[in-house]
Amino acid sequence: MPGLIIDDIPVEVPAGTTVIEAARSVGIWIPHFCYHPALGSVGACRLCAVKLLDGPVKGIQMSCMLPVQEGMVVSTTDAEAQAMRRNVIEWLMINHPHDCPVCDEGGECTLQDYTIAGGHGLRRYDGKKRTYHNQELGPHIQHEMNRCIHCYRCVRFYQEQAGGTDFGVMGSGARVYFGRFKEGALDSPFSGNLVDVCPTGVFTDKTSRFRARYWDYDMAPSLCPGCSLGCNITPVARYRELLKIKARRNDGVNGWFICDRGRFGGREVNDPARPRAPRVDGVDVPWDQALDTFVLRLGELLATHGAGSLALVGSPRLPLEGQLLLARLAEIVSPGNVCWFTTAGEARGVLAALETLPPEGVASLADVRGAGCVVILGVDLLAEAPMMALAVRQAWRNGAKVYVMGISEWTFGSFLGISVTPVSSLDEVPPAERVKPVLIGNSRDLPSARVDEKLWGGARVALLQSGPNAVGAALLSVDHDGASLEELLASGRIKGVVAVEADIPGSWLAGIPFVAALDWRQTETVAVAQLLLPTTSWLEMDGTFINYEGRAQRFLKVMNPGIPLRGLDPTLHPPRIHRSVPPGGDLRPAWRLLAHLVERLGGRSPESPFTGRWERLRDLHPEGEGIMVYTHGSDSSEGGG
Amino acid sequence: MSVFKDMKAISQGMWITWKHLLRKPVTISYPEVKRTPPPRYRARIVLTRDPEGGERCVACYLCSAACPVDCISLQAAERDDGRRYAAWFRINFSRCIFCGLCAEACPTMAIQMTPDYELCTRDIMSLLYEKEDLLVDGCGNDPDYNFYRHSGIGLVNPRGGNQDENPPVDVRGLAP
Ligand code: SF4
Ligand code: SF4
Ligand code: SF4
Ligand code: SF4
Repeated sequence: MPGLIIDDIPVEVPAGTTVIEAARSVGIWIPHFCYHPALGSVGACRLCAVKLLDGPVKGIQMSCMLPVQEGMVVSTTDAEAQAMRRNVIEWLMINHPHDCPVCDEGGECTLQDYTIAGGHGLRRYDGKKRTYHNQELGPHIQHEMNRCIHCYRCVRFYQEQAGGTDFGVMGSGARVYFGRFKEGALDSPFSGNLVDVCPTGVFTDKTSRFRARYWDYDMAPSLCPGCSLGCNITPVARYRELLKIKARRNDGVNGWFICDRGRFGGREVNDPARPRAPRVDGVDVPWDQALDTFVLRLGELLATHGAGSLALVGSPRLPLEGQLLLARLAEIVSPGNVCWFTTAGEARGVLAALETLPPEGVASLADVRGAGCVVILGVDLLAEAPMMALAVRQAWRNGAKVYVMGISEWTFGSFLGISVTPVSSLDEVPPAERVKPVLIGNSRDLPSARVDEKLWGGARVALLQSGPNAVGAALLSVDHDGASLEELLASGRIKGVVAVEADIPGSWLAGIPFVAALDWRQTETVAVAQLLLPTTSWLEMDGTFINYEGRAQRFLKVMNPGIPLRGLDPTLHPPRIHRSVPPGGDLRPAWRLLAHLVERLGGRSPESPFTGRWERLRDLHPEGEGIMVYTHGSDSSEGGG
Repeated sequence: MSVFKDMKAISQGMWITWKHLLRKPVTISYPEVKRTPPPRYRARIVLTRDPEGGERCVACYLCSAACPVDCISLQAAERDDGRRYAAWFRINFSRCIFCGLCAEACPTMAIQMTPDYELCTRDIMSLLYEKEDLLVDGCGNDPDYNFYRHSGIGLVNPRGGNQDENPPVDVRGLAP
């Protein structure tokens, strides 16, 4: 552990750490463009200059390229270092276009920030600027090459991190160019991260082109509902419209990046035709009337067909708060007839997944990145959980062997740029190779994920699930003996279904006299329901998801519900009448509706969704790494640590 | 002798009073008579055009960010040729305090103050000015300035065709 002094602060860091990282560890921020914690250092931009006053090295040095050594005395505020950084900015601006007003990066641009910080307000150089032609890079990414400062972050991400081959750096000298050899859409399923890593406006999100500026954004820490990995995101909204999604750092989960499906998906929240008003028998009604009708018809149903005729259905995409209150409501109106899965197969898979996990536990994405041997059991990771595939690539880059079973090794390997070995059974993996092994499967086809504990002792397993909160659904199913709707319907007793953000095929509900839906999506279930209570989407409320490894994470409300201004009748804006909710914005979170029903039908208001073993989730912070709520080997009804 | 002192003070005061009584008044009978404010007086805001007649505003949101009373709202959009413009642009003059910070922030000289101070109305809703109400024909200040002749996106001039630009580099060239 070499010790050094940075700006009079003594620092001790492991050998091999660079000065810029050591400074960051004590809260000193050294400006930089090309260094990125996930991409490493290249020393291309020359901005991170510091002065070494004493010790083994002296003078101006690039702090990102300099490993710490015992006895270094570093000054980040030295006049010479400051002058160097100021001059670097001015050199970079020599060729930079006069674009900020029409650049989507403006307001969230590292180059803009450091130019201002360096005090370079007026151009002194009156020579001509270099220009480039742009490329058409497909529907998601906009290219504006004049703004490039040649930091090489994009190509380091695209080729090294993500294994893409269709994008790179070309040219020489002052003509260095970052693009594709030929115009065309980027192939990598992680291409959207170029927008995040590029410190300038060369790559911007085309889907939100010219829509808003940073200071007007509605933002909050949130989670991607795209699959069960629970990647951390920062959605960006404006005027009740989701504009774009940025990756949010979580070292235990997604690291710094997210996949394109997560980044460019989720736009159904903007649909003006989403359920926006309570509906009874096809007619929009006020909330009071809808809730009264709900309670009345529920009473009638139970009176006519008796207890046990009502099924309450949640889903793996329903946030944990709603799932918990659904269980509470079931205890009051229909004990035993509650489920969180639609099909029996899905329920069996996810429930069995909880049981078959080996004692060493579940592999987090961080574990996968650090694995020594990865076996993929018949899941197409790029289609089902792309960030898992990116984690596998990082393991491969660190020397791990990758084996695949039951999928085309060619598509998988070539898309990620890694070499994989096909095997037909787990036994074919040479025992000598099984160092820090991680097995990746899908709970759907569990038998193949069953592993021989003797041979695979110490292996960690990652089992993908069917939704962003499938583990929450499974834990509750265990606690409440919930099976699946398929099984409940097979009993023939069910005469009423309350579907809470559940996707039930319309044909299943054909013979059911009472169907109520609480949802924010226009699903088949919503279409056949006689009673609809519209709910807020995950962007319009606070909530909790439990990802595939049993990690509970909190997401916060990003925007107010309502018809986006873009989809609104232009005569309604600006509003000429004063109202407290925007048009189409009178929606309620599913858990609040359920809490209301629990209070009305059970006589007592639930103080919080989180009671008993869930209590510790009450103050879960959205910015942390999350809390593990389930560890195999401990009694699942107690919850693990 | 305090009596003389008092008489002096009173007559001095009366002298000033009478002097002003007989002077020409500074007040005018507005609205029959109107004053011409100086050219740089800050009143009704307009959106100007560039020398070629195009809308100068590129919908960069700087004016709405600078506005201390948040009375400017707008929505940027993209024209088919890639030009950024304001799909709608609205100033709520019932809130505007005519501080001029928006005009100071504007990087394209689009938003400018005019000396037209007569904005009063009984219908407050009519003080919501839309883009059509704000846009004028003409450049106002800096009549030669066209932002797109300086930015690098190649809209008015071809890419690399602005005065301060070199032609686009040939990436595949082998020259040193
Ligand atoms: S990249 Fe940054 S500095 Fe360059 S034009 Fe865009 S906002 Fe301005
Ligand atoms: S395109 Fe962006 S990330 Fe790539 S080198 Fe240029 S400035 Fe850096
Ligand atoms: S891997 Fe899954 S959770 Fe992560 S960003 Fe992609 S879709 Fe979202
Ligand atoms: S600052 Fe100027 S260019 Fe920018 S939005 Fe306002 S008027 Fe338009």
